[in-house]
Amino acid sequence: MRRAPLAVAVAAFALALAVQPVLRERARAFPPLSSLPSTPYVLQDAGLVSGGLRAAAADLAWAQLLQYSAGGLDTMTDAPGRPYDHLKDLGLRVARLDPSFHRAYLYAAGILAWFRNVDRPDEAVEVLREGMRADPGESSYPVYIAAIAFKKKGDTDKMVALLESTLSDPHSPVEMKTILANVYKSRGEYEKALSVWGAVLDDAGAAREWPRARLQLAEIKALRKSRRASARPPARPRQ
Amino acid sequence: METIKAVFSYTFREHVRNKVWLGGALFGLVMLAGGLVVSALAADERGRVMLDLGLAANEIIALVSVVFLTVHLILQEIESRSVFLILTHPVRRWHYLMGRFLGTLGAVGAGLAAMGLAHWALLKLLGWGGDGWYLAAWLCSFGKVAVMGALALLLSLALTSEAAAMAFSVFFWILGHFSAELRFVADKSGNALLRSALLVFSWAAPDFAHFDYRNAWHAGAPDPRWMAAGAVYALAYAGACFALSVQVFEQKEF
Repeated sequence: MRRAPLAVAVAAFALALAVQPVLRERARAFPPLSSLPSTPYVLQDAGLVSGGLRAAAADLAWAQLLQYSAGGLDTMTDAPGRPYDHLKDLGLRVARLDPSFHRAYLYAAGILAWFRNVDRPDEAVEVLREGMRADPGESSYPVYIAAIAFKKKGDTDKMVALLESTLSDPHSPVEMKTILANVYKSRGEYEKALSVWGAVLDDAGAAREWPRARLQLAEIKALRKSRRASARPPARPRQ
Repeated sequence: METIKAVFSYTFREHVRNKVWLGGALFGLVMLAGGLVVSALAADERGRVMLDLGLAANEIIALVSVVFLTVHLILQEIESRSVFLILTHPVRRWHYLMGRFLGTLGAVGAGLAAMGLAHWALLKLLGWGGDGWYLAAWLCSFGKVAVMGALALLLSLALTSEAAAMAFSVFFWILGHFSAELRFVADKSGNALLRSALLVFSWAAPDFAHFDYRNAWHAGAPDPRWMAAGAVYALAYAGACFALSVQVFEQKEF
């Protein structure tokens, strides 16, 4: 009788062991900590993950990625002539902490492939391929990979068509919209550029791009005005 | 049954009167501070960050509460000798232990529910259009709390030192989040002995990955069979720890 609790414990523990295979088979698998890129934030990530705060660790890593891309992260400085040197690692860090963080893949890939003076499309494709593997529910990764391929080939029309197709996607990062708006501007398609910047201004989640959007709207309107003025036939001198 | 109900009732009232509301206040502060930081740093993912931060804060505060309360639960009554008084009445030891444990779990669960409601209301206020799986995330957190509470009770009775029981509870809490890493290291290990030891440890220690819907929220809705198996695991593991606690408590001489 004095051993009855022990017998109950053994039976209950056996039941706990018996359901573990079902749980492991159906659980969402996360990449191991050892797969995180080497950054000065390894201890921060390990500490949060060990407390079961993986999603919160990914959110914090996302905020640090944004800080880095705004030039406000002192712990990671770029090598001379290599802007956004650590962007791929920081983007993959967010994605490996939480593989369903769609925007981390898209944000990092957008800057790596399309930002002026960055132009590292191969790294962008690497990030997007990881997204396809680890976050299979998201459909925009192959579209961006195709857009990068067209950009490399110099086929801007097809690249723009693909980028346009992602505009309605709620996960489409604001950077992709600004990239598309800049492509429109450089091609002289001012109405389309104005419409995209207007959409950025209407997006409450894109507040950090609002000052830039206002500047661009003013600049593009001025460009449009000067083009109309130059296209108008010169006024005949009065006789 | 009546004894269990009576012990449950006085334990629940004791916790509610004394300590549990502090967890709610702390949660409010964490949410407020978190909201301020989030608004400044990641405004474009505000909903996501507020959801993750709130669920995490909710769970951490509940886990700290349950470990702290359970470790003190019996040891304090032994120290103050009030347990002698109770056990001189016709109260079976396992009834007493069950009432005390369920009362603590009930108080922490009520705190967890209050924090969850406050968090959910805050999210709705911010315009969050959640997909209705909040309750699933809450239940997973409660499963973790129940397992951790039972383990802390066992450790407090087996070690008879509050400090040691708390230290080991924290150790198992961390280990519970590293079960996948333990198996990964075991797979990579060339040493058969180390490999076996790591595998045995990873199976025997509580595996909190089984309740980790909170971290996988953004990947989609949970599998109902996974949820059901998680509930069985929580009941069985907490049950095993509780039965061992009864075994240890029965052998104590008062």
